[in-house]
Amino acid sequence: MDVEDLLNDVVSMDDLKKFENEYHKQLTTGTVSQETKFHYAWCLVRSNYPADIRKGLILLEQLVKHEASDDDAKRNYLYYLALGNSRIKEYSIALSFIKGFLHLQPENMQAKNLMLIIQKKMEADAHKGMAIAGALTLGLSAVVGIGFALTKNLKK
Amino acid sequence: MSSSQYSYIFKYIIVGDMGVGKSCLLHQFTEQKFTADCPHTIGVEFGTRIIEVSGKKIKLQIWDTAGQERFRAVTRSYYRGAAGALMVYDITRRSSYNHLSSWLSDTRNLTNPGTVIYLIGNKLDMESNRDVSYEEAKQFADENGLMFLEASAKTGEYVEDAFLKTAQIIYECIQDGRLDLNAADSGVQQKILQCETNPNVEKDKSCMQC
Repeated sequence: MDVEDLLNDVVSMDDLKKFENEYHKQLTTGTVSQETKFHYAWCLVRSNYPADIRKGLILLEQLVKHEASDDDAKRNYLYYLALGNSRIKEYSIALSFIKGFLHLQPENMQAKNLMLIIQKKMEADAHKGMAIAGALTLGLSAVVGIGFALTKNLKK
Repeated sequence: MSSSQYSYIFKYIIVGDMGVGKSCLLHQFTEQKFTADCPHTIGVEFGTRIIEVSGKKIKLQIWDTAGQERFRAVTRSYYRGAAGALMVYDITRRSSYNHLSSWLSDTRNLTNPGTVIYLIGNKLDMESNRDVSYEEAKQFADENGLMFLEASAKTGEYVEDAFLKTAQIIYECIQDGRLDLNAADSGVQQKILQCETNPNVEKDKSCMQC
């Protein structure tokens, strides 16, 4: 399983526009169907722009909280909430959504795979953080070292 | 790194009615595993495997689309740029066979003329419940210019064949120039293998050697 490919799957602008138009058309009539809202949200969370992804996440949260008609629909929304949050590097939120999914369907391989991806990303981020912290400590100890050497020199 | 040592990437899609075993075929091919009672796919699932055709390593990038109607509007966008399309039906369920013409017209409309379409009759292990004969499906495939075989995601029988033969045909098309790698959406990416830089050898030549 290639981690990058799933999270790097980007919606085409044509598709995004097409499903956006449908959504707005229904908005003007006053009722947006669950399906239309989901299609639009699914495109938004695969956008290259974080603002689009966040918009998609809001729609998905509305769907999962107020509109999900059955467990099947609910798990679909949870899956894309996890995927969208991963794409904006909100890994701990992503993890909570995919855990919510696995609570509904513990043996789902697709969700388990996504959870692995999120965990790997979290680990990589933690390593990066540790590397930065390490570099900072190293820099700091160098400064302290130089200071120490200087004071030693001065004392001579 | 071994992951970068392949010459081409081929994009595949798997389409067909829900419950015909598309994800099971993918899992059998990528992980040699079979899970009974596989839950419905959410949107699209993704898998990869590196194979070898005529001594060349090729990475297959496989998009397995959900068969449920509620996903169909969006999964259509995954057809674009596929070099290979595996169209699956269940040999024990006639309705899944009857819907093939609709899957075929989507596939034809949304992919390139050069896309290789392979028809797969899945669940060959359930011969006693067969609802569609081999001959009937073969005729449908011939009439529509499709490759065809029957396979079992459960036992793994002929699963490799379907994926590998598709790759072979795509590879042949590249070799004889029928598939233009520069065309947008050809579904094939050529990997330029990185060479160690040798200042004594011209850059182009050194790349030919690897």
